[in-house]
Amino acid sequence: MNSKDLDRNNLEESNKKAKRILYIQTSGVDTPERLYAPFILAMTARAMGVEASIFFMIKGITALKQGVAEGIKIGNFPALKEVMDQAVKAGVKLYACAQSCELLNMPRTDLVSYATVAGAATVNDLVLDADATLCF
Amino acid sequence: MRIELDLRGLYCPMPVLRTREEMEKASVGDVIVVTADDPAAEEDLKRWAKRAGHEVIDVKREGETISVSIKKLG
Repeated sequence: MNSKDLDRNNLEESNKKAKRILYIQTSGVDTPERLYAPFILAMTARAMGVEASIFFMIKGITALKQGVAEGIKIGNFPALKEVMDQAVKAGVKLYACAQSCELLNMPRTDLVSYATVAGAATVNDLVLDADATLCF
Repeated sequence: MRIELDLRGLYCPMPVLRTREEMEKASVGDVIVVTADDPAAEEDLKRWAKRAGHEVIDVKREGETISVSIKKLG
């Protein structure tokens, strides 16, 4: 096998491994226009064969409070809950920062059950594992 | 050797930082059993252990408390 074949094999090998995008949501329900994009981008990433996670921290966790997404609907967009459900169904993983709940005096038990509660080590790990990170 | 580390009452990032300190002192093959009630501890400790090159050999949950057993590999 010559070096060109080896290069091609290495390239094919790296293409086989799914790419990963991490979206970090720091905006909350006081800026509802900022809440849709991570879900829409993440579910589109899934359709592109890319692994996608959204980490909610600081005010971002306010969108994960049970019953809140149902009441958010802006412009001609569907309710945020509908977009959130589609993203989860598409395989987008959601993470919620536990300490942000403490920061905002929000009981952790108010969080939707389909978000994994996590902390600093998880954010760092996700960022290091991702091929790209976008912050909202 | 089995080392018990009770970190109940400590919150992110302290469970990871305290576990790392204890792991530094441990010998290869030792198992540290971390007990914590930080809701972020399970996910954080699993990811920290993998990145630090150690092995999570057991996770137990009892109500709000979790016990994560981590074996020092190197």
